[in-house]
Amino acid sequence: MSAVVTPNLSPAHQERDSGVAIRVSELSKTFPVPFARVRALFRRTSKKPVEALSNVSLSIKSGEVFGLIGRNGAGKTTLTKIIATLIQPTTGSVEVLGCDSVRQDESVRRLIGLATAEERSFYWRLNAIQNLMFFARLHGMSGREAKRRINQLFELLELNEVAQRRFGELSTGNKQRLAVARALLPNPPVLLLDEPTRSLDPLAAERMRELIQSLSRKQAVSILFTSHNLAEVETLCARVAVISRGRIRGVDSPANLRMLTQNTERVRITLRNLSLAELKTALSNKVSDFQVEETKERIGVLFTRQPEDDSLDATLKALHKMNAIVLDIETQRATLLDLLTQYETEDE
Amino acid sequence: MLIGFMNSLRLLPRRILAFVIRDFRLYVSYRMQFFLRILSVLTVVTILFFMSKIFSGFTDPRFSQWQDPLPSWLTGLAVLSYFMTGFQSLANSIRQEQMQGTLESVLLTPINLPGVIVASSAWDFLETTFFSSLYLFFGWLLFNVHYRGSFLIALIFLLLTTLVLGCLGILSASFAIVFKRGDPFGIFLGVGSALFSGVFFPTQLLREHAGAKLGSISLLLPATYGLDGIRQVLIQGHGWSEVSQPLITLLIFLAVLLPFSLWVFGKAVKKAKREGSLIQY
Repeated sequence: MSAVVTPNLSPAHQERDSGVAIRVSELSKTFPVPFARVRALFRRTSKKPVEALSNVSLSIKSGEVFGLIGRNGAGKTTLTKIIATLIQPTTGSVEVLGCDSVRQDESVRRLIGLATAEERSFYWRLNAIQNLMFFARLHGMSGREAKRRINQLFELLELNEVAQRRFGELSTGNKQRLAVARALLPNPPVLLLDEPTRSLDPLAAERMRELIQSLSRKQAVSILFTSHNLAEVETLCARVAVISRGRIRGVDSPANLRMLTQNTERVRITLRNLSLAELKTALSNKVSDFQVEETKERIGVLFTRQPEDDSLDATLKALHKMNAIVLDIETQRATLLDLLTQYETEDE
Repeated sequence: MLIGFMNSLRLLPRRILAFVIRDFRLYVSYRMQFFLRILSVLTVVTILFFMSKIFSGFTDPRFSQWQDPLPSWLTGLAVLSYFMTGFQSLANSIRQEQMQGTLESVLLTPINLPGVIVASSAWDFLETTFFSSLYLFFGWLLFNVHYRGSFLIALIFLLLTTLVLGCLGILSASFAIVFKRGDPFGIFLGVGSALFSGVFFPTQLLREHAGAKLGSISLLLPATYGLDGIRQVLIQGHGWSEVSQPLITLLIFLAVLLPFSLWVFGKAVKKAKREGSLIQY
């Protein structure tokens, strides 16, 4: 997959853009109870207002793939929808390339493309091309312009085979790809991708990730990426925000975020051609606290180290000196899942 | 801001075309309904022709538009369906997009909500224009119904009344945005227009048989003036001077309802965006 078009970034926006594509400032959103005053008047009990976001601040740089992770109901969708101008914030503001999402909502919509996993957002009795032609015209494209762009996107997202099929007859994966094609229609400089690989097979998911990387690297498209696949988030995103119960708990690179929960890693070396006594001698001065597991002809050594300290190197050198044959090295680091679990436990 | 507005206005025809093409494609994906609807119009016109024969020679001379009831019924039905489209299609377009789940994806494009409402009701007007014309066409082709007077004045009445009902449609759409269902304007105007605005019988009969209070309801309905004006032109052959009274009444309706409905609509959209309920149904 390769994209050859440049995003629709007007010179005015390029000027205004000082490296920040999306700026979210002290954003809060409380969903009010509809007709609360009327209910109170009639002394009817009503639910409490729902606080979906609380004092959220973050910024996404131009050309950055920025991950947003959190449990269901954490506030990811509300934040995405506020950025996309579909919901108004209670307090705070969102700027997309310098345009305010409330006061300049139409301008913001010209700058963003949103792809969600919501299948009902298409017309099921229209085919794939007819669906995209409709949305292309709403973006103000002429018929010829729209056809050219749709052909380009169908090629890019491998949708040519299903172009004439009704949306209702498409597989879930193709529906998902069509949603991404729709988001890319106006060639937006900012993309909001809500689980874009959720229903794709492993190969198609990999190609989608390549496309996302290519959009970010070659065309400087800024991407807000939400996913429950944490490995995917780690692969794709330069920075990740963890959201829990409407609050941003941390924003950093995946590696640094992992360190927040546990700043050590567990190393396991499997080797042979060395006796237990020889091994203990070799490691006694190199690693302070190690455990040994012996099975038939193999020995497993386990120890804990600080990431990037020299204990692993020193151990390997010592083992090499003793003519040991190293069969395998495994490291176990804290994952983003550990971090999510930690935040959830703290919140509870 | 002005540049943005001018840009939206410039792109409106293209967006209307997008909705018309979309709705046409959706319409033809159900092929049978088109032919069945033509058949139903033909059936209604035929029934009305035979019913009109019952009254042949018995019509009260006071009701000048009803000397032959067939042209009155046909204009009544044609115009009523047009008025109801003006009124209902605005709210229906929002409601339908909400229920299909497509409103969110439409609103993600650089089109504003009033633009969506206007553009998405365009097909309804085209469709209604076709089927409304069929009432008059079948009457002329099969049952020798002739219309006289200026079609231009009749068209102005039609557009003006549709605009007034469109304002009520905007109020109804506002209601749909906030409350989703149970629109009181729809109930009042739907039943009210058929009963009180003189579609099937002269409004004078209401005052005579149901009393002055009930009869005066017809005076509150814009459709009464629209129908009266169109019938005066097409059936009685009246010109500008004779139809000035219903014309001025419709203009007053428009002057009051247009700013009011737009104000209410703005409030409704703001409330729905604040509550995050714009796409719910």
